[in-house]
Amino acid sequence: MSGDPARASLDAELLGWMAEPWRNDDTRFEKTARALFSHQFAHCRPYARFCRGRGITPDSIGSWEEIPAVPAGAFKELTLRSFPAEAECHVFRTSGTSTEARGALHLDTLALYEASLLPSFERFVLPGLPRAARVYVLTASPEEQPDSSLSHMFGVAVAARGDASSGFFVRRGTLQFDSLLSALASNDAPVALCGTAFSFVHLLDALEAGGQRIQLPPGSRVMETGGFKGRAREIPRDELYEALGAALGISTDCIVNQYGMTELASQFYDTTVHEPGAPRRKLGPPWARVRILEPQTGAPCAPGDVGAIVLHDLANTGSVAAIQTADLGRTVGNGFEVIGREPGAEARGCSIALDEMLERE
Amino acid sequence: MSETAVRDALAAVRAAGRRLRERNPEEILDALGDVLETWRDPASAPRRALVRELPSATGFSAPVIERGLELALAPWTREALHELWRREAGPDAVGFDTTAVLLAGAIPMPTLLALLAPLVLRSGVVARAASRDPLTAHVVAESLCARDAGLADALSLVEFDHDDRDTLAAFLSADCVVATGSDATVAALGAQTRGKLVSRGHRLSVAVLGEDADIEAAADALAVDVALWDQLGCLSPIAAYVVGAPAEARRTAEALAAALDRTEEVLPRGAVPTEAAAQISHERADAELRGAAGGAVALRMGRTWTVVAEADARPRAAPLHRFVRVHPVPDLGALADALAPYAAHLAALGCAGATLPHDYGASRICPLGQMQAPPLTWRQDGIGTLEPLVRPAR
Repeated sequence: MSGDPARASLDAELLGWMAEPWRNDDTRFEKTARALFSHQFAHCRPYARFCRGRGITPDSIGSWEEIPAVPAGAFKELTLRSFPAEAECHVFRTSGTSTEARGALHLDTLALYEASLLPSFERFVLPGLPRAARVYVLTASPEEQPDSSLSHMFGVAVAARGDASSGFFVRRGTLQFDSLLSALASNDAPVALCGTAFSFVHLLDALEAGGQRIQLPPGSRVMETGGFKGRAREIPRDELYEALGAALGISTDCIVNQYGMTELASQFYDTTVHEPGAPRRKLGPPWARVRILEPQTGAPCAPGDVGAIVLHDLANTGSVAAIQTADLGRTVGNGFEVIGREPGAEARGCSIALDEMLERE
Repeated sequence: MSETAVRDALAAVRAAGRRLRERNPEEILDALGDVLETWRDPASAPRRALVRELPSATGFSAPVIERGLELALAPWTREALHELWRREAGPDAVGFDTTAVLLAGAIPMPTLLALLAPLVLRSGVVARAASRDPLTAHVVAESLCARDAGLADALSLVEFDHDDRDTLAAFLSADCVVATGSDATVAALGAQTRGKLVSRGHRLSVAVLGEDADIEAAADALAVDVALWDQLGCLSPIAAYVVGAPAEARRTAEALAAALDRTEEVLPRGAVPTEAAAQISHERADAELRGAAGGAVALRMGRTWTVVAEADARPRAAPLHRFVRVHPVPDLGALADALAPYAAHLAALGCAGATLPHDYGASRICPLGQMQAPPLTWRQDGIGTLEPLVRPAR
């Protein structure tokens, strides 16, 4: 980790916050966000120039909401770090296709990343499960994919909260279907079955091919994340949930979507397992906030209106905390939902989306 | 509309097509040529209807529709239709008994051509209007009705929901199906089609400015190519490649920015969906940050347009809606490398100041300013307009 005292103080403050009971605190967020902005402005030169170009400095802002957000896509081409290069200890990379650049999150410590992910995972995915729970993961292990932030996240979760049977059920890109079935059948304690949306499609395909279905034990839940980028098949999320519910013998309310990205240290989860019966929406930890902005003006959207999602994740101390996505969302109560493209929506023109073309190469 | 109604429509146009095939093909051609000539007249009823009603239906501004139609229809003369027929069909060629046309998008010319082409071959046509443009197909039908009752009888417009599988299956039971859409859409339709499937996939276009280009004039022409149909058509350039020193690309970007700003006054941009606006905002910030990081990247933007002067030729996201990237390429050899990723998807190359040694996969190479005005004889993806609709000899 960087030897910078200001950074060490920020990290200590955040690690302390993450270890405390879950509590939203506007004053603390404001104070920490501004201190972090000052630090990142001072130590990440491209970010400082970007901010100055918009006439914004740490002294000019009146609120954390004025902190400029860098576009998520920039992590594909730029090294955005707020620490000396020689202090780098790990790099997480986004998935990508052969012609597409991969985004990279450069880290000088994994401590915040790991400390940030657990409280949210426990709160939104594991409520009601024993301290040593059955956490079965449909991704490659962190040993097999050390640059995957998702694998790392699951690795930390399994190590912290998994029982002896917990682990990873994808090896070299292949679902270990028989091992999974065997593990699921080994006892009747509830299980947290976690993976990418596409890994669950593989699971459904394998079940269908064998004419099988699984009855997960009562109290089980599914956590899925990610989309279908670069995949040959795409299934609307509602259809995926219906199919998973039917194939695994669980209610769709027991399926939790995680909204996260490699460029962030914190994640946002559906509330359906944490707050049964309440409207499905996404919440993140107290040290991460979401803003929904009108994309043409940058002004906050009225509650319920669709806009672009901007994330402020204070656990990103080593890079840049404020990130602008091209995803759409809207506020729902004290949380938000991510709005996907309308299934079957017809384009106005016949120009192929270049992103779509590059993803397929 | 029910499955039964679609089957009835198919039966009706099958009978009408049979009657057309009893007539002299050149008489049919003359009638359709007259329809085209009517459409070419800005004062005609169909043109006035489109300019009046398409803006609210499609989101394009009225001046864009007016100018886009004027430019695109200019070469679509009666004589051009005859020439197309001579090249691709001739007196002995006939179409399938029935042709089902699944229209897509909001740009009117592809709709006009997709409906007239099977009629040239005296095929009975059922068509489902695009959800983004419920108007143009009806205006075509009215034009046929005004000129030739027999042709009007051979075209039936049907409506059904896109997830009404039974009715879609009835629609796809035609002897020939014409569909435009994304590769995924076309593949899904192909799996359900029993007869011949003629598909037009989504494509993109780019501009090339050679070392002899007059940058100011080329930028003005390119701005029109970008502004028409708000860059949403497959003939709309998403990027410009400038052959020569990087400074030339930067100069071009400056000139294009100024030209797009001027163009906005006469061809205002239409509605932009929130999803596209979010992508534009993201890509603007991306260019801003890459420039701040020391890359030779410059962002120019107005309320309705964006020009990014890139430092290299690497393909990047294209949010459309008047968002253009200008890339430097040192020479024509480098241009070939730059265009290689597009090759399978390239529709047109708009060109100024260069003689291109290859087509780079494009089926059309034309001067800048003319990208949105393909001739009727343009063979998109190397495939003619009438050729694939001709029924093989029995």
